Amino acid sequence: MSAHPVNGPSSFALRGRSYGAEPPAEPVRARRPRRAPWLAAILLLLALAGWQLGGAAWIQAKALLAQHLIASSWAKAKAGEAKRPWPWADTHPVARLTVPSRGIELYVLAGTSGRSLAFGPGHVDGTAAPGAAGNSVIVAHRDTHFAFLRTLHEDEEILVEDALGRVARYRVRESVVVDKHATRLLDPADSPQLTLITCWPFDALQPGTDERFVVIADRLPA
Amino acid sequence: MADKSGGKGIAAAAALADFAGLLGKAVVSGIAAGVLLALVTLGLATTANAQSKPNDAKTGTLLFRAGEGAFAPAPKVETEVTIHVTGIVARTRVSQTFHNPGAEFVEGVYVFPLPENAAVDRLWLRIGERVIEGQVKEKEAARRAYAAAKREGKKAALVEQQRPNLFTNAVANIGPGEFVRVQIEYQQTLTLDNGEYRLRFPLAITPRYEPAAGSEGDASLHPAQEPGAVPGFRKTGGVPDLPAEAVLHPDYAPAGCGAVNPVAIGVVIDFGVPLAKAASSYHDAWIEQESATRTVLYLQREQEEADRDFELVWSPGGGAAPQAAVFTETIGGTDYTLLMVMPPQPTAAEKAAIAPLPRETVFVIDTSGSMQGTSIRQAKESLLRGLATLTARDRFNVVEFNSATRPLWPDALPATEPNLRFARDWVSRLRADGGTEMAGALSFALDGRDTPGYLRQVIFMTDGAVGNEDQLFRLIASRLGATRLFTVGIGSAPNSHFMAKAAQFGRGTFTYIGDLREVEEKMSALFAKIESPVLKDVAIRWPDGTPVETFPARVPDLYLGEPIVVAAAHSPHPGTIVVSGLRGTEPWSVALTPSPSGEPTGVGALWARAKIAVLMDELRLGADETLIRPAVVKVALEHHLVSRYTSLVAVDVTPTAPGGETKSSLVKASAPLAAAAGELPQTDTAFTLQLLLGLLALAAAGVVALVGRFIPAGGAQAPAREAEGVR
Repeated sequence: MSAHPVNGPSSFALRGRSYGAEPPAEPVRARRPRRAPWLAAILLLLALAGWQLGGAAWIQAKALLAQHLIASSWAKAKAGEAKRPWPWADTHPVARLTVPSRGIELYVLAGTSGRSLAFGPGHVDGTAAPGAAGNSVIVAHRDTHFAFLRTLHEDEEILVEDALGRVARYRVRESVVVDKHATRLLDPADSPQLTLITCWPFDALQPGTDERFVVIADRLPA
Repeated sequence: MADKSGGKGIAAAAALADFAGLLGKAVVSGIAAGVLLALVTLGLATTANAQSKPNDAKTGTLLFRAGEGAFAPAPKVETEVTIHVTGIVARTRVSQTFHNPGAEFVEGVYVFPLPENAAVDRLWLRIGERVIEGQVKEKEAARRAYAAAKREGKKAALVEQQRPNLFTNAVANIGPGEFVRVQIEYQQTLTLDNGEYRLRFPLAITPRYEPAAGSEGDASLHPAQEPGAVPGFRKTGGVPDLPAEAVLHPDYAPAGCGAVNPVAIGVVIDFGVPLAKAASSYHDAWIEQESATRTVLYLQREQEEADRDFELVWSPGGGAAPQAAVFTETIGGTDYTLLMVMPPQPTAAEKAAIAPLPRETVFVIDTSGSMQGTSIRQAKESLLRGLATLTARDRFNVVEFNSATRPLWPDALPATEPNLRFARDWVSRLRADGGTEMAGALSFALDGRDTPGYLRQVIFMTDGAVGNEDQLFRLIASRLGATRLFTVGIGSAPNSHFMAKAAQFGRGTFTYIGDLREVEEKMSALFAKIESPVLKDVAIRWPDGTPVETFPARVPDLYLGEPIVVAAAHSPHPGTIVVSGLRGTEPWSVALTPSPSGEPTGVGALWARAKIAVLMDELRLGADETLIRPAVVKVALEHHLVSRYTSLVAVDVTPTAPGGETKSSLVKASAPLAAAAGELPQTDTAFTLQLLLGLLALAAAGVVALVGRFIPAGGAQAPAREAEGVR
């Protein structure tokens, strides 16, 4: 009985040695051991791919799923109670931003911490409330929620609904690229306007760019 | 047996060598394929990037380069600032000399900050010996005039207001090697606080760190409030011809190459009385007392780098009784008067002698969920500090609000020790939770009631996390009555804009507390100020009793160290103006007789600027822009002012350039002192990178699998085949 386990590997070794001398009798069985290194490399690369793609998918999944969770808390917020989208959330929805021409619907969260930006566009604290007079600034990631800014052109309409259900209409005035230090964009404005900010260039491979893409829209009379 | 085992060992070693060789080749080929793919992908991505630039330009995006610019050599601007101070009014002339070092006609666009209350009313374009005076036109008309001149090859200058404190100056058709000088003049009222006059001329282009002296709190916490030009702010407004591909992004000059756009500043102070003190806060300056009443100051280095704001502080030798000053100007049958009442700086003995009015103080504390943590602790601490300042003559109440409003008592009660103890216990039990329904609390505190004999104050402590700002402003404005609203901003990032405006509508002040350690100092300063209202119920009686349009429309109370400045327009009527009020409990009044000096004082422009500011506030309060705009345009055109809807434009008569398309470029701005003072949020993820890496790994795996497939079954020729597979 013990001959079998010994025989297995020894016959493998023998075949291996006879490999150079004469053509193998059974090609199929002979190739099997050759596959192993390739398989290892493939598995390694697949694992790497899974890891990276998983990370990328996770970014998109968070962005998408969170918006769904926020949608329900938004309904509650409109009913009068400021509800957190999930129990441990450190933010809450403050507005609903839609671009009818592009079928975009986004729930804007309060604050712009890196954590909340993963879930939705953030309203910059201290700037005018979305839909209110003055300069209301909303920022979001260039590769998730605000990816559409890239193709948004002048005169397109953006709608912003606040927690009281009031809808403000904005029309895109211009888009500009600025340095990240241009904090003047956050300043109060004389007339009601919406400032949407995301990172630029949109195609940059690495995160942490120094420029920002800015879309400025003027509120239309109700 | 031994022979067999030895053969086995050799066989195993050979197999292992084979295995290792194959593994190595697989990995190498996999990596090679990966690198190749990466290079291809990178190349494609770069091409895509390069292609995206013209697309962006099409939608009006500026193209910029941080290093050596791809545009024509940027024109340079030298700025000379001359400030003439008369009393509380300063008239400033800013001369910007544009120089084109290039070989082609260019358009220079210069973004520059001015003080927030600057009334810009004059523009001159100087070409050699000729001077062309600018005209105020509606913004669109001015742009058309400028665009037409630019097309026709004429020199032209256009001054536009981008924000109340940010302007652009565009100069068309600056010839090769040519100098074009543009002069702008503006008028402003000075700020007076605690006996010190402060004059600021903004120079720096980004928010920067400020020395603690003279500023409150950490400047980096609210950098956006500091005046400074924006790098890269551009406003085309769909006008086709204005900086068509103008780059309003000033590329920063490399550090250490000196002033790019140097600024020289000279100030003349004609104060009427000798100054007790005069100093430049951040720059070295020469200060000379020319005569008893005239002080001259200029910057020590003629060409000062524009990396810090220029600030001049001076104080006259002041007395204890409220002082008043009056300036008038007659324009087109209307008299414009600027009235200033300076509060006295009471001595300790006087302070004790003046019995301050008893107070009725309502503390409103925000206990909504957003206040959780240190914010609520700060707010409670501030409230307890406030309670400690009350005396037995005062009355008080405390109101907490979150989703609902809960007052401590239905009405204010005397600040007796049992009442105070009860209130302290109540306050210490408060917890932060729930929503932020501010309107209810404001309505409760501002009930329009006035308790006779009491000075009614509402101290409002919140982080201002509200969405219905405008509605709240309207509520404050309509229900204020005789009450004063003082806002106290709590937390690391309170909504300063809301609270500053709320205090303005509530005729009070805004105090920002960013740290638990600041509570003591800031609250003490606030209560010291509002404990001593120097003058209450201020009223102004004009000579003929006709209605007079004044700004501010309601004269606020005089608190310690604050002046009252009122601009008025009225029909010409010589006579005395009587300013009266209650000092403590005693009536006080002063009669002022304007002495028309004949020369224009610029008071009319100040009045108009104040009126425009009020109109713009109304717009914020929800007024219809279709009503506000014509009103602003009318005032601005009458008084020759640059506003949001009006611009100054000067056009040369004779063409000097070939016309047509000219290159436009933005003037470089000095590098800020601390570049990272303020940043817009970072809004990118590793998504693209991860996606690319993932796909690369996947592709590499595919390549390896493919290569593996072509590996022959075995035999001598296997290595050769493998090599082919790799290729």
